[in-house]
Amino acid sequence: MSKKNIEHIIELSNELRWQIGDDFHDNLTEGIYADAANIVRDSVQTEKGKKRFRLDSKIDKIVTSKTFGFPIMFLILGVVLWLTIIGANYPSSMLANLLLDTIHPALKSGASNIGMPWWLDGFLIDGVYLAVAWVIAVMLPPMAIFFPMFTLLEDFGYLPRVAFNLDNLFKKSGAHGKQALTMSMGFGCNAAGIVATRIIDSPRERLIAIITNNFSLCNGRWPTQILIATIFIGAVVPSSFSSVAALLSVIGIAVLGMAFMFLTSWGLSKTVLKGEVSTFNLELPPYRPPRFWRTLYTSLIDRTLIVLWRAIVFAAPAGAVIWLICNIHVSGDVSIAAWLIDSFDGFGWLLGLNGVILLAYIVAIPANEIVIPTILMLTVLATGMSGGEGAGVMFELDSISATGDVLRAGGWTLLTAINLMLFSLLHNPCSTTIYTIYKETKSAKWTAVASILPVILGFIVTFLVAQIWRLF
Amino acid sequence: MNDYNPISALIIFFGIAILLFLLFRPTKGWFWLLQKNFKSNEKVIIEDILKQLYHFENSGNKVDTRTLVEVLNFKNKRIVEAIKKMSINDLVYFDKDALKLTEEGHEYALRIIRVHRLWERYLADKTGFHKNEWHDRAERMEHKLSHDETNKLASQLGNPKFDPHGDPIPTKTGKIADIEGVELPRLPVNSIARITHIEDEPEVIYKQILAENIHIGSLLKVVENNNTRIVFHSEGEEFVLAPIVASNLTVLPIEKEVVIEENIARLSGLQENEMAEIIGISKESRGESRRRLLDLGFVKGSKIKIDLLNPLGEPHAYLVKGTSIALRKDQASKILIKKSEHAD
Amino acid sequence: MQTKVVKSACETCAHFNAEGLKKLGIHAENFDFVVALAGNPNTGKSTVFNALTGLRQHTGNWPGKTVTRAEGGFQYNEQKYKLVDLPGTYSLLSTSTDEEVARDFLLFGRPDVTVIVADANRLERNLNLVLQILEITDKAVLCLNLMDEAKRNSIVIDQRVLAKDLGIPVVATSARYKEGIPELIQTISEVANGTIVCKPHRIKNVSPNIEKAVKKLSKEIEKEFPGIANSRWIAFRLLEGDSQIIEALKTGELV
Ligand SMILES: Nc1nc2c(ncn2[C@@H]2O[C@H](COP(=O)(O)OP(=O)(O)OP(=O)(O)O)[C@@H](O)[C@H]2O)c(=O)[nH]1
Ligand SMILES: [Mg+2]
Repeated sequence: MSKKNIEHIIELSNELRWQIGDDFHDNLTEGIYADAANIVRDSVQTEKGKKRFRLDSKIDKIVTSKTFGFPIMFLILGVVLWLTIIGANYPSSMLANLLLDTIHPALKSGASNIGMPWWLDGFLIDGVYLAVAWVIAVMLPPMAIFFPMFTLLEDFGYLPRVAFNLDNLFKKSGAHGKQALTMSMGFGCNAAGIVATRIIDSPRERLIAIITNNFSLCNGRWPTQILIATIFIGAVVPSSFSSVAALLSVIGIAVLGMAFMFLTSWGLSKTVLKGEVSTFNLELPPYRPPRFWRTLYTSLIDRTLIVLWRAIVFAAPAGAVIWLICNIHVSGDVSIAAWLIDSFDGFGWLLGLNGVILLAYIVAIPANEIVIPTILMLTVLATGMSGGEGAGVMFELDSISATGDVLRAGGWTLLTAINLMLFSLLHNPCSTTIYTIYKETKSAKWTAVASILPVILGFIVTFLVAQIWRLF
Repeated sequence: MNDYNPISALIIFFGIAILLFLLFRPTKGWFWLLQKNFKSNEKVIIEDILKQLYHFENSGNKVDTRTLVEVLNFKNKRIVEAIKKMSINDLVYFDKDALKLTEEGHEYALRIIRVHRLWERYLADKTGFHKNEWHDRAERMEHKLSHDETNKLASQLGNPKFDPHGDPIPTKTGKIADIEGVELPRLPVNSIARITHIEDEPEVIYKQILAENIHIGSLLKVVENNNTRIVFHSEGEEFVLAPIVASNLTVLPIEKEVVIEENIARLSGLQENEMAEIIGISKESRGESRRRLLDLGFVKGSKIKIDLLNPLGEPHAYLVKGTSIALRKDQASKILIKKSEHAD
Repeated sequence: MQTKVVKSACETCAHFNAEGLKKLGIHAENFDFVVALAGNPNTGKSTVFNALTGLRQHTGNWPGKTVTRAEGGFQYNEQKYKLVDLPGTYSLLSTSTDEEVARDFLLFGRPDVTVIVADANRLERNLNLVLQILEITDKAVLCLNLMDEAKRNSIVIDQRVLAKDLGIPVVATSARYKEGIPELIQTISEVANGTIVCKPHRIKNVSPNIEKAVKKLSKEIEKEFPGIANSRWIAFRLLEGDSQIIEALKTGELV
């Protein structure tokens, strides 16, 4: 193999390309399809008139119709969330009972029996163990219900229809219609949603999809929304409506997230990511009846494994950190945590939140799942209320009302709850997602934009809501 | 903290927001304006002058300094300085009053034009920028790309012959193909021709052409041609243009007696329950998106019909080769079809 | 040779040795063969992959579910196979980024056997990719998947004729219900071991001026790299001006 000959080949190809002109690709593809048609004529027989499943096109007509298309979409989202909210209660309190009420005291007494020093016992059992247990009890049940249902929809073939229905909105905001698909994936996990953006073949639109994926409430945030909505929003209406109110407010936040996604996409495509979408194509696959039990089973196992894994990898160290900042003192008997909460309080108040929440979001950068446990623990610390087993202990709050009591004691109002829900929607992505963004974009700049932009939006939105709330 | 009240907080907030908007809003923000002011340097002026001279010489017009000042967006003084420098460097010379390009200047000008047109081609093939932005972006890029970068770009694009408007791209060695054809107003009624070039300057006229959705490479048939308007049919639609707009279209008359097929239309014009056969994809669809359309089976001879109408008006889904594929309207308008008589 | 190629599924199923199969999950070290799973999006590649390896790659009923390549393995008759699940592609002729992973693996990963998973209901559009892959490799198996749906849609495919036209073995499967998987394994092993010799179809219907250019160019390429299997493909890509291929040709990666 000599360089000269290869140069010669390349020169020759340039020459020939010039002669053939522009139509090479068209001709070649037409040629291949002509071959394909010949082959198919030889070997395939189709019964005429039965080309597409009749049932398929009937379903399609309904789910994409002008009148029913959008209502069906919201209805499905509503039903899935409803089943999640209702269904998660029972296993959640069961798990809490087991992990927090039974096993935790047993561990504690076991530790004191073998004479473990207080700091090691605190660090391991009150820090690491409790954090993991809390995440499992609160996060696992809703996820184990939400995702199997979502997977069923996916296997049925509904997602591409959602993308089809929504594409015009995406077009108007300068984004790619397939962003609907990656957004849906983001409901599971933003990191997964960001990897899924690879189906978008133009770099600009892909970047938009990556940056805005965080506006899809993920795995770790649904339960937070559901919990806070149940405690605070459910409480302002008559109790017979409370779960409906909670449901509607969670749907409201999810839809708001989509609105922000469109708005941000639009803003980006008008400024730093200027341009128009030139290409969009989406194949609508036939509906396929999912294999119900099998899908439920595999998706349940899958979700459980993911939640458990994240609990161990992220919640455990975070639990340790929380315990440490609560038990290491900076000056006199003020712990690091208390000191930080104090310094964040002013800014937090301006946003209708408080220092505890801001600190919790910093501690919880590795994983959104631990936000609520951290908030509870820090609230106890800040109010100095006795309810836990000492500083830095994420104690058991097996009943939702007990959780509410702690938060109210920490000075929470309806405004705090609403703003927390907003801030949970609009804040920086978790560390895994940030890392994934970096891997996919290979750009520190865009990673920074994708990480900081949502927080800024979160600050602005909560700030405005707080000011307007206080006006009245 | 003590003198806080929500109203003043809101006022401060909106004050800052408005300030930021004024500073950084796209193109008209003060920050960008300031930045632009500092940027236009001598190289840019020289290269712009070369380009103008090239264009004027090509169209057989004479140029003096005053015309240059009129067409170029720079201060008189800077242009005069630049010309002085250019004649020292042997790029231009004065033939009496008229300014002319030397051999070297000619080459230089072609290089700039090569970059400009390649970059437009790049924008068209590989990015999603709207057509009316291509020119300005290329205008900026032509001063930035080095010789090697240009050649690399060219080979990445497959050494294209023409830019997306149909203008020939000079080769590495300065060879340049001709645009074939005449201006549209010179075409008599009833003649058939193919659009080979759409001029993108001046911008106002170009925008009008774009708004009409006229596609390069498409066949047309003139049905009316007089001083006030030119009417022609193309791809199943009727277009009406003022002569000065029409003269920015170059068309190549088709001598042979071709049958311009009757039922030709754009896919975007297909109605529900109509059947059609694909005739081809317009030259207006380029690069990746054209390839993807072909790969998806939008090839000559494929049968096609609407499978699903979109609740928001677009994209519709089309059934082609046994699969339902959704396409946005602007893509569908670049696929040419022949409607068949009977619906299926 | 022809008789070997035209082997219908039932002939091979007799040979399938169920005891010889062991799913290896992700443990695919020291493998003897690399097998790539390629095909249009949403044709069931990941489902086939799961059936062969016993893994649980995510599947979903929409095109583009898989975006990164996944690896797994199985053992059959004492030989270890590494299986690579690729993202779906419509074509190898483009340079689009979403198809990059699959394209690069098929071109430069040099799998020993390429299993092309096609949707039996939409064979014609799937053949676009099949015919392209056949220009690159001469060791391939067509896995005609989703046969259960084809049956429901009353589509009848003559596998013998298809295999003869394409010049590679054809196996009908319904991967979701694990039908046809044993036959697929058997066929993969026979192609890998050279018991079945393929004689892949070459694209015929190209216009004369292009055919002439391709011939001229591929002759030059063959002169430079004697015995190369995909000279025509390289010629196609050079004519298209694919800078990646030009680069690969210079570095000798392609041969
Ligand atoms: N009825 C039926 N469905 C199948 C069969 N094989 C796969 N499927 C379904 O087809 C859909 C697509 O399968 P996947 O394995 O995800 O397809 P893929 O080719 O990997 O798709 P991409 O990764 O998007 O390219 C899933 O919903 C599968 O359950 C089959 O043999 N019969
Ligand atoms: Mg897959």
